[in-house]
Amino acid sequence: MAIVALTSCLCFAQAPRKATTPPPAASSAGNPTTLKAAEDLWKAGEFESANNLFKALVAAYPGNADYRVRWGQLFAERFAPGEAVKLYQEALEIDPKNALAYLYTADVLAAEFNPKAAEAADKALEIDPKLYHAYEIKARMALEDDNHKKAAEEADAALKIEPTALGAIAIHTALDLLADRESSWAPKLNNRAKGFELIAHLLVLNRRYEEGIVWYRKAIAAEPTLWTSHAQLGVNLMRLGREAEARVELEVSYDAHYRDAATVNTLKLMDTYKDYETFTTPTTILKLHKKEAAALRPYFESELLRAMAVFEKKYEFKLTKPVQLEVYPNHEDFAVRTMGLPGLGALGVTFNDVVAMDSPSGRTPGEFHWAGTLWHELSHVYMLTLTNYRVPRWFTEGVAVHEESATNADWGDRMTPNIVAAIRDKKLLPVAQIDRGFVHPSYPGQVIVSYYQAGRICDYIAQRWGEKKLLDIAKQFAKNRPTVDVLREQLGMEPEAFDKDFLAEVDKETATTVKNFELFTKSLGELNKMAREATPNTEEIIKKGRELEAIYPDYVEAGTPYVVVAQVCMKKGDKACALTEYEKYSRQGGRDSAPIFELSKLLDEAGRKKEAAAALERLLYISPLDQQLHPKLAELSLATGDAPKAVREYTVQLALKPIDMAGSYYNLARALNAQGQKDKAREEAFNALEAAPDFRPAQKLLLELSGEGSKP
Amino acid sequence: MKKALATVLLATLPAALHGATFFLTVAGLGGEPDYEQRFALLATDADKLLRTGGGTDRIVTTLKGADETRAKMAAALTKLASDAKPPDVIVLMMIGHGTFDGAEYKFNLVGPDISGTELAGLLNKIPAARQLVVDMTSASGGITPALKRDGRTVITATKSGGEKNATLFGRYWVESLRDPSADTDKNEVVTALEAYKYAQTKTAAFFTDQKRLATEHSQLEDPQRANAFPIVRYGTAAAVVTNPAKRALVTKKEEIENKIDALKYQKDLMAPEDYRRQMNALLLDLARTQSEIDKRNARWPLLL
Repeated sequence: MAIVALTSCLCFAQAPRKATTPPPAASSAGNPTTLKAAEDLWKAGEFESANNLFKALVAAYPGNADYRVRWGQLFAERFAPGEAVKLYQEALEIDPKNALAYLYTADVLAAEFNPKAAEAADKALEIDPKLYHAYEIKARMALEDDNHKKAAEEADAALKIEPTALGAIAIHTALDLLADRESSWAPKLNNRAKGFELIAHLLVLNRRYEEGIVWYRKAIAAEPTLWTSHAQLGVNLMRLGREAEARVELEVSYDAHYRDAATVNTLKLMDTYKDYETFTTPTTILKLHKKEAAALRPYFESELLRAMAVFEKKYEFKLTKPVQLEVYPNHEDFAVRTMGLPGLGALGVTFNDVVAMDSPSGRTPGEFHWAGTLWHELSHVYMLTLTNYRVPRWFTEGVAVHEESATNADWGDRMTPNIVAAIRDKKLLPVAQIDRGFVHPSYPGQVIVSYYQAGRICDYIAQRWGEKKLLDIAKQFAKNRPTVDVLREQLGMEPEAFDKDFLAEVDKETATTVKNFELFTKSLGELNKMAREATPNTEEIIKKGRELEAIYPDYVEAGTPYVVVAQVCMKKGDKACALTEYEKYSRQGGRDSAPIFELSKLLDEAGRKKEAAAALERLLYISPLDQQLHPKLAELSLATGDAPKAVREYTVQLALKPIDMAGSYYNLARALNAQGQKDKAREEAFNALEAAPDFRPAQKLLLELSGEGSKP
Repeated sequence: MKKALATVLLATLPAALHGATFFLTVAGLGGEPDYEQRFALLATDADKLLRTGGGTDRIVTTLKGADETRAKMAAALTKLASDAKPPDVIVLMMIGHGTFDGAEYKFNLVGPDISGTELAGLLNKIPAARQLVVDMTSASGGITPALKRDGRTVITATKSGGEKNATLFGRYWVESLRDPSADTDKNEVVTALEAYKYAQTKTAAFFTDQKRLATEHSQLEDPQRANAFPIVRYGTAAAVVTNPAKRALVTKKEEIENKIDALKYQKDLMAPEDYRRQMNALLLDLARTQSEIDKRNARWPLLL
């Protein structure tokens, strides 16, 4: 997921105000209560005083909508967009024909990627067709949707009204840059910093961070006090892992009292970096929080290297720089690292060759498959590099989702009820427009649906044309060609025809689930209710549960029929039946640890120890910090003769600082002994006894390892 | 390490020196079937574990279901006042819901509740010098001031009377009595301190793992004293307590343990190699001595 932040880009010149100026009144602070006095204070950077004066003005002239609009702009500039929108709304209640209130509402909403911004911009134009800034907002939104044609048209509409419109010129320049064309528009920017800043923002939005950084620097060169650019330059340098440079820019911004949330949060986060450890190999840089580094490193490092080996082969090239992977135990730190702001819904984000992601400890156990996320993000690194950052959003996300389960079928995210509902309601987008679903979602959950759809498109392409076709398509995107042209050429069909075939395939695959979705939803509740009864009808529950499994095999969330049926089977003493159900749950990608532990236990009891260990190994990719997991897996590994794995697992258990330290040292000693590492085993036996001198099994092992006594 | 020494002494001294241990477990009112069932189950588990928890020097009483009334609880404590002697140990465990009105804690029972002050009055009448109260209810932190007294150790599931949500602490406390990993010093005795640490760690981990705000923070004022309360024993620990036959070896073992303890205190002042060499020698010596004790046990099992 390559999400980027949109700055509150106040790149438009101040619009003319049509308000009639009322006579001045005296304010308590000694300034006359006039718009001019408030504006002067604002201009002088005395924001608090300006705010007070606006407050007084609005109180003195409650019927004046323009004062509210202008006051709203102050809030928008000083990092309070919510307050700004409130004031614009109040202005519209007073004066429903206030075009500027609509315009600035559109500006704030556009900065938040809210599709309603277009509606507000249209309203502004309806009232004042000369308000060219509204066209600029619409152009910017079209560009964010990857609709370059529309973006150019909207920019042209602005230029028709105002030939020097800076936003429109910047958008045209950005369109040229994004298309790798020499831009004839650039000179018309006339060294105006806000124009450079907008171009930088649009480049960043298209994941062209290095170029974005160049344009932020241009903006700063043109206007050294443009703090918004300093802040965004800092944030984007940070994204690429250039922390020292980032800190300089962010501190410049902070010291100048430009303290938006991104600047402040990012600086705060940087102060916590002393709590992280860095582990390097020739091709990787891994940053883990000290408190969990020892426990996570064995898994993260090996998975990172494994994924890189697979992708190198698959995408036929090697990365020239090491990949940096940062793992954050606090989700909000990850969000700040990514966007400068808390509240991000994503699990991982890639910026060129830097990947930041949640740690398993940052999420509720069972909801997060960290290895799937790692593969997903690493796929972006390869796709972005391969295409020189020219890949459209939908394709890189689609390939990333495809890769999550291409190597391990049970890894990827399942088809959630939201997705089923979207398929049922025919909400999947044509491939030519799918980027819109990521950037400007029009209904709740559309981003998730878009991930699913993009992933399924890539699955479908790989299935119908072969896995290699994805690489062929990526190579065409590297030439900066639009989706429609690339698909037409590579798949030999029109995008509309592709949509038809693809949707038919999705419909075919999901027909049973979609058709019976309502029934499933209703029956799932009933099934769980039946299972909770004091004397449940086990046969009926098993029958009904299996029917529901057939309707919606992907459903492995709360109350999943697999687990309900398994538990009922256990109640009636039918372990084979329970085992079958737990196996289905695991195969379908269920992530709750309790059923997986049950599965492993039943397999172990059935003498299938290797499978029992394999069941637990799945959990390493989901809940690697689970205290119960490692000793169980270690014991199974010892039982199946895999001493190195037992050593790894007991080492990790110790890193998790269990209650029973002595027992854990002793177990590690046993595993090391089994591996033939006598000296290390002796060390660990010593550690066990130092913690618990009376620990008899450890005493026996120490004696044995010291050449005294028999095997314990 | 003082903790280790205390545990060793407890495990090896003859029962007569520290008397019997009286356990009273009370499962309070659940208020709804789920809690009712949960509390009764915990009390049943605790009862079973305490009864099989090693040694004959323990008297276990459990009140649950119809017996969870103030009158029955008061009667049980009054009986303890007549049965227990000064060298004996009293362990009162309370499972259920509690309330705190800002001044007084109450343990919820069928019919009238029992207050912290009433409980203190009943406990004060028991002559046993060493008393342990483990209050695992919601708001249990509110009982601490009322129970304060020399020789009495109080463990509560919450830090104050203000933590009013149903607690998890009791579940893990009972679990500690059956989970060998709770015996962190591996002397085959789970003391109140070990059980407390186990339950505290597991409770905290539950809230951390589930990304939920912790609604309970268990409290124990005097960890050192809590380590002197053995709750369950297993393996040969209980047998050793009642067997003076191997005194010489046991005494030697205690001496080595004391030396280990003393060496640990010196650790920071010593060169690491010296510490390791000396510790290794002591640990080997201890292992050999224990092996010798085990051999004698095997040779003359009837002496146990």
